[in-house]
Amino acid sequence: MKDVRIVIVDDSAFSVAFIRNILESNGCEVVGSAGTLEEVKEVVTAQRPNLVTMDMTLPGTDGLECTRAVHEIDKNIKVIVISSMMDDEIVNEAKKNKVYAYLQKPFESDDLMATIHRVMATEELYEFLQQEYASIFKECLIDGLNKMTKTLLTFKDEYSTSKECASNGITVIIGISGKFSGRMLIDLSEETASSLATAVFRREPKNRDEVAAALGEFANIIAGNACSILNRKNKALGLRLAPPSVLSGENVTISACDFNTVTAIGETTFGELLLNVGFKGGDDEWM
Amino acid sequence: MDVKHLQPFLDAFLSVMPQLGFSDVQVGQLSEKRNEVTGNGVFVILGIVGAFRGNVVYSIEVEAAKKIASIMMMGMPVEELDELAKSALSELTNMLTATAATNLSNLVGMTDISTPTVLQGENVTVQMSSDQILCVQLFVDHIPISLNVAFEAF
Repeated sequence: MKDVRIVIVDDSAFSVAFIRNILESNGCEVVGSAGTLEEVKEVVTAQRPNLVTMDMTLPGTDGLECTRAVHEIDKNIKVIVISSMMDDEIVNEAKKNKVYAYLQKPFESDDLMATIHRVMATEELYEFLQQEYASIFKECLIDGLNKMTKTLLTFKDEYSTSKECASNGITVIIGISGKFSGRMLIDLSEETASSLATAVFRREPKNRDEVAAALGEFANIIAGNACSILNRKNKALGLRLAPPSVLSGENVTISACDFNTVTAIGETTFGELLLNVGFKGGDDEWM
Repeated sequence: MDVKHLQPFLDAFLSVMPQLGFSDVQVGQLSEKRNEVTGNGVFVILGIVGAFRGNVVYSIEVEAAKKIASIMMMGMPVEELDELAKSALSELTNMLTATAATNLSNLVGMTDISTPTVLQGENVTVQMSSDQILCVQLFVDHIPISLNVAFEAF
């Protein structure tokens, strides 16, 4: 396997040589090894591998502390535990510490390679999604608004830091699931929502339920189109939508997600409209 | 929506909460609403996709939310519902709903969830695309959490 740079963490010289042999004979590049917490920090900082294989029992430390140290250096590095110890408690602890997969010694070389293939394929797919999704959702918003209301939208601002923000009045939320889970959110003022609903219905909405229904359908079409395009580009994504929920209230704040999202502010004939979308990485996928 | 499809959510609640440091876990009254959930405080919304499509909304009043976040953070005092506290609530609902989805998968087929969206406000109304929402009042160490589940008609 090309371009996979791996660090082996194990205090047994035999284990390091054994794992190195499997990895190298399968085309992976082993860029270093470590047997203590200090060595882990040193080699991971210097080499920035894609992946670390981690023993659980290490002198003066353990695999969990070392995993946390790896993720402090770079949270995107995938950690696979390879240990003779395996029980529910230790596996749960490993999950909590964002370990990507857990293999018990002794293991077959095919098991290790299959795990690494899956890890790297997931990683590549997530990178693909991260590169593509923002522009696709934005295009689908422009396109959806245009088709449903014959009006135009221009984006005036965009940022990708996840931070808490105040709602303008009405928030439409659509959950997304598939290979990666995420959500799309559209936020707008009541006046904007009401004018938008009027344009969608081609008449004044009768009540709040109709406004919510129009907004829900509007958001559903945008998210549906965007996810279809992404699925067509790579069918492994398998993105599916949950039905829309429409939230309104006083002094509503929308909390930041614990993953990166993209926020774009659009200017429309009806008023300002905020689009926020994001997908969580595959670190909770368990093998 | 059949009441029996609520059971996976209650089982998830009863099994997950004790693992997070809550000692007294109770399921309270079940009620039914048409298509909206109202209240004050924190609302966490998660989507459900797969054999069933729908949404789950957890609604927790501010004081209750602070107490829950504090217990989850090993008793650390929570004066304000800051980002850390809301992140704890987000993680809590994620664990509960993921466990419920696993339980539901065994019952009706593959079911998956979206990431949680956390909102906070006053006089909040959440309109859900369903004609029937099942609501259950849950209690952890006497702190109330309202669980609302709506599946699309099937």
